[in-house]
Amino acid sequence: MVGSPVLFIAVPLLAAFLIPLLGMIWKESIRILPGLVLLYMLVLAVTLLGQVMHTGTIVEIIAGWKPPWGINLVFSPFTGVLATLMIGMGFIIWIYSYRFKNVDFEEAKKYFILFMMLVTGSVGIVLTGDIFNQFVFIEITSISAYALTAFYKHRDSAEASFKYLMIGSLSSMFLLLAIILIYSQLGTLNMADIASKAHLMKPEFKILAVIFFIVGLGIEAEIFPLNGWAPDAYAQAPGPVGAAFAGIVVKAGVYALIRIIFTLFDVSGTHQFLIVIGLTTLIISEMAAIRQERLKRMLAYSSLGQMGLVLVAFGIGTEEGIFAALFLLINHAIGKSLLFLSGSYLVYNSADKYINETNGMGKFLPITSFLFALGALAVVGMPPFSGFWGKFFMMSAAAHANMLLVIALILSVSLIELVYYFRVVNRIYFYKKESHIEPKKPTVNAVIAMVTLGVIILVIGFYPDVISGYLHQASQALLDKGKYIQDVLSTGQLLTH
Amino acid sequence: MKEILYYTWGAIVSFVVAFSVGITYMGLNRKITARVQNRYGPPWYQNFIDVIKLSSKKTSIHHGVMQHMGPAFIMVTSVVSLLVIPILNGNKFFPNLNFQGDLIFLLYIMVFGPLGMALGAGQTGNPNSAIGVTRGLSQMAGFEIPWVMALVALMIQYKTTSIVDLMNVQVESGRWLMFSSPFAFLAAVMAMLGMFRYAPFDIVGAPQELASGPMSENGGKYLFVMMSAGSVFAFAKLTLYVDIFMGGADNLIILVVKTFALYLIPMLYGITSPRYRTEQSVRWFWGWPSFFGLLAILQAALF
Amino acid sequence: MNMIYILFSLMFGGAILTFLAHKVSGLLRDILFVLTILASTVLFYTKIHTGDAVDFSISGLPLQWGINAYGRIFSLIVLGLGVMASFYSVSYMKGKERLGYFYFNFLISLISMMGILMSHDLVSFFIFWEMMTWSSYFIVIYNGKHVQRSGINYILFSALGAYAMLMAIVMVYAHTQSLMIQDMMQAFPFFPVAYKVWLPILFLTAFGVKAAMMPLHVWAPDAYSDSPMAYTSVFSGALSKMGIYGMIIVFVTMVNYLPDDTWFRETIAWLGAITAIMGTLWAIAQDDARKLLAWSSVAQLGYIITGVAVGTPLAMLSALFLSVMHALFKGTLFMAVGAIEKQTGTTKFNEVTGLIRKMPWTFISSLLAIIALAGIPPLGGFVGKWMLYESLINSNHYILVIAIFFASTSAFLYCYKFLFGFFLGQEEKEWEQVKEAPALMVLPMLIMATLLLVFGVFPGIVLNPIDLGMQTLGFSTTAGTFWSMSGLFNEWGNQVMLQPLVYAIGGTFLFFLILLTVKGFKETRYVTTKDISSSGEVPLEHENLTFSEGFYQPFLRAVWPVMKRRMMSYYQGFGQGMEAFFDYLRRVYSGNGQTYAIYVLVFVVILLLFKNSLFG
Repeated sequence: MVGSPVLFIAVPLLAAFLIPLLGMIWKESIRILPGLVLLYMLVLAVTLLGQVMHTGTIVEIIAGWKPPWGINLVFSPFTGVLATLMIGMGFIIWIYSYRFKNVDFEEAKKYFILFMMLVTGSVGIVLTGDIFNQFVFIEITSISAYALTAFYKHRDSAEASFKYLMIGSLSSMFLLLAIILIYSQLGTLNMADIASKAHLMKPEFKILAVIFFIVGLGIEAEIFPLNGWAPDAYAQAPGPVGAAFAGIVVKAGVYALIRIIFTLFDVSGTHQFLIVIGLTTLIISEMAAIRQERLKRMLAYSSLGQMGLVLVAFGIGTEEGIFAALFLLINHAIGKSLLFLSGSYLVYNSADKYINETNGMGKFLPITSFLFALGALAVVGMPPFSGFWGKFFMMSAAAHANMLLVIALILSVSLIELVYYFRVVNRIYFYKKESHIEPKKPTVNAVIAMVTLGVIILVIGFYPDVISGYLHQASQALLDKGKYIQDVLSTGQLLTH
Repeated sequence: MKEILYYTWGAIVSFVVAFSVGITYMGLNRKITARVQNRYGPPWYQNFIDVIKLSSKKTSIHHGVMQHMGPAFIMVTSVVSLLVIPILNGNKFFPNLNFQGDLIFLLYIMVFGPLGMALGAGQTGNPNSAIGVTRGLSQMAGFEIPWVMALVALMIQYKTTSIVDLMNVQVESGRWLMFSSPFAFLAAVMAMLGMFRYAPFDIVGAPQELASGPMSENGGKYLFVMMSAGSVFAFAKLTLYVDIFMGGADNLIILVVKTFALYLIPMLYGITSPRYRTEQSVRWFWGWPSFFGLLAILQAALF
Repeated sequence: MNMIYILFSLMFGGAILTFLAHKVSGLLRDILFVLTILASTVLFYTKIHTGDAVDFSISGLPLQWGINAYGRIFSLIVLGLGVMASFYSVSYMKGKERLGYFYFNFLISLISMMGILMSHDLVSFFIFWEMMTWSSYFIVIYNGKHVQRSGINYILFSALGAYAMLMAIVMVYAHTQSLMIQDMMQAFPFFPVAYKVWLPILFLTAFGVKAAMMPLHVWAPDAYSDSPMAYTSVFSGALSKMGIYGMIIVFVTMVNYLPDDTWFRETIAWLGAITAIMGTLWAIAQDDARKLLAWSSVAQLGYIITGVAVGTPLAMLSALFLSVMHALFKGTLFMAVGAIEKQTGTTKFNEVTGLIRKMPWTFISSLLAIIALAGIPPLGGFVGKWMLYESLINSNHYILVIAIFFASTSAFLYCYKFLFGFFLGQEEKEWEQVKEAPALMVLPMLIMATLLLVFGVFPGIVLNPIDLGMQTLGFSTTAGTFWSMSGLFNEWGNQVMLQPLVYAIGGTFLFFLILLTVKGFKETRYVTTKDISSSGEVPLEHENLTFSEGFYQPFLRAVWPVMKRRMMSYYQGFGQGMEAFFDYLRRVYSGNGQTYAIYVLVFVVILLLFKNSLFG
């Protein structure tokens, strides 16, 4: 045994405190340490995931307080897959940003600490089995995200950060309200316990709690119309942070929302609600994306749309649908991060990050441009790249559930997506470079990070079986609510005896 | 080998007949035109003289391979369509290929020559030739429509695409198709006006404007072959009309009478008409003639 | 290991190696490129037999690759044209940029076409279909011309089709739990009625886009003319045939089981005919050879679509035969345009004329190809056209046959324009130095042109594999009833025996050619195109006698009413409307934090108000 799930929280938090201390001794350590920590977490996550696939969910009790009273961490196939994905993305983004703020030690220190906190918070959201604990992790993630958004200290980034903060605090408020409601009704904060007792709750209160959760978590999961803050935050944050938002943070938000809807309460109509709200998000975001003039904003809107698609897939509610949703989620994490990472080099030296400043970069930044094109192909779901399988599984899940109209809508919206991505790729390869733009060569570590993502896209595209086994187990784990409750609560009983 | 000689013999005989009849018609045309216009006009055998004169002339220049081959192309159309069209009922005297081809083949082989000659005309570099060709092709796109409509009407009515079968139908029933399918006949005859390129559809050659258009750079032996081909082709077309609309002919005399009667139509219509511009003539063909063609198809489909 | 795996690994490996070799040396890249295609062609025809198949599965989806006799017809087109075009491209693309990229995508598109033909299941079919789309897309924009317009149009329409197909595929999958095309065919008669209607429509949308069927054709003229000619020959010759390949499957397996298939067939057949007519008219109006051929491709595919839609055995034969012929003659013609572009730098009729004496071989191959295109005997095109007309007349499509006939008569106009514009007419000083294209470019054209002649006299050579393929689709054999080695028959028993007719044509032609040549052989000499009578005046050296502007002005005036309305403008209007709508909607994201906060509150209020209807 390499370690237990608690290390996912403890090690990075410890490291976050150690970074400034070590930084006083050896400046380079502030860069290396997060990487080492993330690498360790990645190894741990992969090992645990392999183990979980065979032996079943690991439930870890923190500080000896048994469920339902104490805080516990649940590493099930479902949460495990998500945590591994997040840590993996975190590690790749770390590689990419290894040389970030190379000259400015203080800035770099801040960045790496905040980045660690962001990853830790997100992993915590996924792993925790306690609803208040989840709230705390959401706050940790959000606060680091606010700070990272405002990282450049420009007027625009400050504004974006402020918007994020404002909406984020609304989110916290509603979450707290929901948690209070539940606690007042059931007297417990443990998710499994809530799930097992949910039928005892008064229906009105239950629905109220669900609505507050939907609003609170919907802000984190970026559903329309709660996602106004997102494009600004994505666009103003530094490149790797944008990738982290798309690849890590929003996944945690979606996870939380899904956990509430699938496990905690079974309120009728939530699945349909997910589909409707997911479709609305998808359609409006894609429509907004096609009209953007700035690269990162376009990517941000596209990211919103993709998450809407993931929600629709979850909303189908069958095992197949969840499998497809997870597939889409992974593809989005990889593809969109690759787009953010390579895209920020394509518009590196321009103040406004306009799309037309990527003109002709294909000649000057061949690898970056190629990877951007690859990412675009993957995100729009062109076979044989990874995005296709997600789309295909999603479509066949929807067809099995007899939702042909949904399929038609999604496919027509995909046309919009296709147009704006290909427009950018065309610009990169076939337009003349704007004379005032100085291309910036990516650093070696950035190339390594982007190429890794590119390779993953190809591997999954040509051989989706590498992940589909895990995803099938994960989706079964999410659906099997009884087993979740039993796993968590029986651990508590085991300890008492 | 014997077969080839047999068919070659047939080809030669029919060629000689068609050539002499066709060239006589051309001469008569000139004579009648002159009389209508109150001139004396050349003798009816003037075209024989012209052809012989042309053939005996020395030709000193050519403009390249395509122009050199152009007359041979147009000859192919004349001879092969003559071979495919049965000349007399029951295929008497003239062994030819009429069991080997059908109307659709004939339609296509009939444009083989004009296109080949158009290429030859193109190579001369004379802009008048090319202008003439473009007009000719445009006009062809015009008159082919009623013509094909008429043919399709006949084909569907008698469930055959073979000319011989159509002739047999008339022989058996004793009724000419021009009476049993009047609309088809009307459309076909109107299309024939375009095929003969007499006024009002003579803008292709337009002597006063284009210096006879596609032919303008050809002289001597080239013009000789072209003129002969034109006469043979004229006779072939007339025979085709006689075959499918007028019950064919049992002997050459009847054939000549029938073809000449038919030939009078474009000739007289031409003498009394001014000239259409290209788009006018194209639209003319897509107007009433095509309407009659449609009626013919309706008649064939419904009755 | 199975030969099919080896074939695909060979092709993929070749593609990647070619791409990498570009960085090492140009020669190596060219050799690898040609070798890949040659080797896979040899492998395909020697080691892979009809009926071979391999099974495997991805993510629990059972997939199967294999080849049947029907796919083999199209493999003839793909690989045959592929080999020709590969030799041609090596010479044509010499000295251009980004050749690794070009050859890579070229090979990928060949692979994907073979993949389409060898897919026995819908998922591989779709994957290869999409690969074909993006690889050809990358070549369409290779020249960097109108990238945003023609490229985006192409990808947009292709994606529209592909998504329609994806929708159909998942519908089938959801309904039958199987992805095999064979299973779909068998299960189709038992589908619910709604599925029976929608599935063919969705599939035909996909295939109609690739086959450039009206009104989904708008991408085609731009895409065909903007890609490098070396690829356009494959693009128009082979890639568009994938649409036909799919269409035939749809018509044979699905449309037959529709409750009332007549209307369906008639609609598609008429769409094909309208495509043919409009394509032809627009081709006549073009002044650029690439555009002319592009529109002509659209028109030719229209004939094929009509043949497929009518669907009698004779019509099917004609559609398949025309597909092969179209690949040959359009391949040749695009190659010829490429050769002219390479040698003179332009493809506009009003810029270059009189090349016949400078590029004789290119002229001869274009001439044969044009004759075939026009459908004039004795070349291959005639056989296809003949069968098409006969099948239409035999199956009581009276007006349709007139429409098709109109299209193909009008086609003579652009055929002549092509030959005249480039090769005939005044020989100008400007083009005196032009040389014949390199042998590597001329040879493929000549080979294909010769094939056209051979197939025109002995269509049985091509009709034999087509017949085998049609038997796979459930037709009974047509050999002997509709065709023999060099004879054609219709359903009424009328016939065209090609051999005697061709001998008559050849004999007459030779006889008069010899007569013309021998008579006065010594006196006749060649004079330049300036030495003409021109109404009795000998033109001066500087006088411009080139005729190319407004070539068919009168004809176009006559048909203008039909051409006034362009499909493209409707799409453009729709596109602009949509973009304006998107722009309006985009303002939801006002950039104002307070607005966003209000959205949140409004959202909460709405949820609370409707909580009972939402979650009750």
